[in-house]
Amino acid sequence: MTIVPFLFDVLAYSAIFVLVVLGLGVIASMMGIFNFAHGEFVLLGAYTVYLFHSSGLPVWAGMVAAPFVVGIVGLVLERVAIRRFYATPIVAMLGTYAIGLALRETVRSLLSGQFYSVTAPLVGSFSFGEISISRWRTAVILITVAVMVCSYLLLTRTRFGLQVRAALENPPLARASGISTSRVYAATFTFGAALAGLAGGLMVPIYAISADMGVPFLIKSFLAVMLGGMGSFEGAIAGAALVGATSAALPWVIKPVVADVVVFIIAIAIVKVRPEGLLSKWRN
Amino acid sequence: MRNDDRSKRPLSASRRLFLQRTTLLTGMIALGGGSYLFNPKGVWAADPIKVGIATDLTGAISWGGIPNSQVAKMVIDQINKSGGLLGRPLQMILEDTATNEQLAVTKVRKLVTQDKVDVVFGGITSSMRNAIKDTIVNRGKTLYIYPQLYEGKECTPYLFCTGPTPAQQCDTFIPWLIKNGGKKFYLPSADYVWPHVLNEYARNTIVKNGGEVIGEEYFPVDHNEYSAAVNKIMSSGVNVVFNTTIPPGVAAFFKQLNEAGFQKKGGRLACVYYDENALGITPAHEIEGLASCLDYFKAVNDPFGNQLQVEYGKLFGDKLLFTAGSGATGMYRGIKLWESAVKEAKSVKREPVAAALDHARISDGPGGGCEMVPGTRHVKMNMYTAVSKGGRYEIVEKSKGPVMPGECA
Repeated sequence: MTIVPFLFDVLAYSAIFVLVVLGLGVIASMMGIFNFAHGEFVLLGAYTVYLFHSSGLPVWAGMVAAPFVVGIVGLVLERVAIRRFYATPIVAMLGTYAIGLALRETVRSLLSGQFYSVTAPLVGSFSFGEISISRWRTAVILITVAVMVCSYLLLTRTRFGLQVRAALENPPLARASGISTSRVYAATFTFGAALAGLAGGLMVPIYAISADMGVPFLIKSFLAVMLGGMGSFEGAIAGAALVGATSAALPWVIKPVVADVVVFIIAIAIVKVRPEGLLSKWRN
Repeated sequence: MRNDDRSKRPLSASRRLFLQRTTLLTGMIALGGGSYLFNPKGVWAADPIKVGIATDLTGAISWGGIPNSQVAKMVIDQINKSGGLLGRPLQMILEDTATNEQLAVTKVRKLVTQDKVDVVFGGITSSMRNAIKDTIVNRGKTLYIYPQLYEGKECTPYLFCTGPTPAQQCDTFIPWLIKNGGKKFYLPSADYVWPHVLNEYARNTIVKNGGEVIGEEYFPVDHNEYSAAVNKIMSSGVNVVFNTTIPPGVAAFFKQLNEAGFQKKGGRLACVYYDENALGITPAHEIEGLASCLDYFKAVNDPFGNQLQVEYGKLFGDKLLFTAGSGATGMYRGIKLWESAVKEAKSVKREPVAAALDHARISDGPGGGCEMVPGTRHVKMNMYTAVSKGGRYEIVEKSKGPVMPGECA
C-alpha cells in the first residue's frame, strides 16, 4: 500500500522542483546567464503571497499577483544592472549573487528573521482508505503541468519564442533581421523572474516563509540545468524532474543525509557520460 | 608593464602620499591614542560597568538574537533606573555576530580587548558558543554567560549556562508523553550537534520509562521533503513523534505529517524548542496537540512573568516575543543572576564574581525563581509542559519544584 503515497510524494516534490527550475532554466538556456538571485526571486514570490495573507486578502489572489510583482522586479533589475553583465558571464554570476544577497537580507529584516506560515487555498487531504493525498500538493502538480506546457508552447510556437531563440543562437543576425535583442533579453529575463515568483507563491503554503527559503533549491536547480544541458528548455525540465525525483525517492531507501550527497554523485556521473546534456540527442 | 609605469611616477606623487599618510597618522594619534591620554578617568563619579552582548541580530538566527538583545536592553535599563550596580551605571555594548562564527570571533575579541567589558552574554547556537568561548574565557579572561537551551556537556570554567539542558527538557516531559501519547517513539532530527546529543539523552529516558524508540533519523539541516519519514511513521504505529528538525524544514515536515493523518489517528507530536514565536511557523490546525517542554510559557500566567511581558511589549512590540525557545528567558536569568553575584562579590572582577555566581539565586523570574547548582555552572529551574490548542499553549504539567540540570556534576 505504500506504493501510492511513494509515487505521489515523488511526483509532488518533482513538480515543485520543476516549477523552481523552469524560471532558472529559461534564463540560463535562453540568455546564458546563471542567475544566482533566482532563489530570492522565489522568495519574493512567496513574500508577495505572505503580504496578501497578512493583510487579510485571499491567498489565491496573492498567488496570481506573485508572478507579476516578481516579473516587474526582474524587469527593473535587468534594465538597471543585469543587462550590463551579458558580455561577462562570470561577473553576471557574482552580480546576481550580490543582488540575491541584498534581496534576501531585506526580506529578512522585513520579517524580523521570523518564519511565518501561509494557509493554502486548499486545506487538508483526500483520503482513500488508508491513503491520504494532500490537496494542495495535487493542485501544485496540476498547475506545474499547465505552466510547463504553456511555457513550452510560448517558446516553440509563438513569434516571441522564435525571437528569443534567434537572439540566443545568433545575436548579430537577429539584430540584422530587425529583432531588438536588448528588448528580447529584457522580456526573457522578466518571464524567467515571473516563473520564479509563481513557484515561490505556490510553494509558500508547503514551506513556511523565511528569508532562506530559496537557498536549498538554488544549487540543486543549477544541477538540474547542467544535467538537462544548456540551451535547451526541455532539457532543464528533464533535469529538474530527475533531480527532484531522486531527491524525494532516495530517502525511502537510504539515510537522508547520504541521499543528499548521492543525488549529486548520480548527477555528476550522468554529466560525465552525457556532457552535452540529457536531451541533446533529441534536439539534434 | 604596470611596475614600469609605477617606477616612472614623478616624485611629487610619493611626496603627496607621504604627506597624506603623515596627516592620517597624526589624525589617528590625536583621535585614537591621544584621546586615551586625555581620557577623563576619575573625573566622573563612577565609571560604567561594561556589559558585552554578542548575539545574532542579522542572518539566519536573528529570530533568537533580536529578542535576546531586547531583553538585555530592558533588564540593563531597569537596573540603571534603580541606581545601577555597586553605585555604577551599566553600559551595554551590543555586537552583531550576524550568524557567522568567523565574524563573531572578531566581534567578541573587540569586546574583550578593546572595550574591556566585564562580562559577555550571548551566542544562540552551540556552534556560536564553541566559536567564541575561547576568545572570551581563555584569551580574554572574561566571564561568559550563555542563555539558550542546548545539548549540555559545556563544562568550561568561567562559562555559565542559563538555559535548559536535556535533563530538564526530558526528565518530566518524556514520562508525560508516554502517559499522554504512547510508548512508541520516533525521533526525526536535523543533522547537527544539538539533536544528536539531545536524542541520546531522550532515548535513554524513553527506555528507562518503559517506552521504545522505533526510529531515529537525521536530515540535512535545510531538508524540505519528508515523505519517506512520514511514511515510516504512519506505517509503524508510532505514538509519539519527538521532533528535533528545525525551521524552515520543520514547517514542511509538520504539514506532511498532519496531511498524512498522524494526529487524526491519535498520534502525539512533541518538540522541545517550540514556543510562542514558533507558533507562526505552521498553521494552528497542523500542530493541534503539539507538546513542548520549556522553562517558561506566557500561559504559565505568573504575575512576575506577566509584568515582564507587559514591559517588553511596550518597548518592542509583538513581532518577536519574549519567549523561552529563543533564549530570551535565559538572557533574563543570566543578567539577574550575574547582578546578584556582583552585589555579593562587591566587585566586577572575574574571580570573585564567578565564585559568587556559582551559588547565585534569584527569587523571581519568568516562570519562577532559579538558582545555580554549585560547582556545575548550570541553573536549576522550574519546567513546564504545554500543549498547543487552537494556536495557543495550555500548561498541562508543572515540574514538582526546580529540575536539576544534570550537567558537569
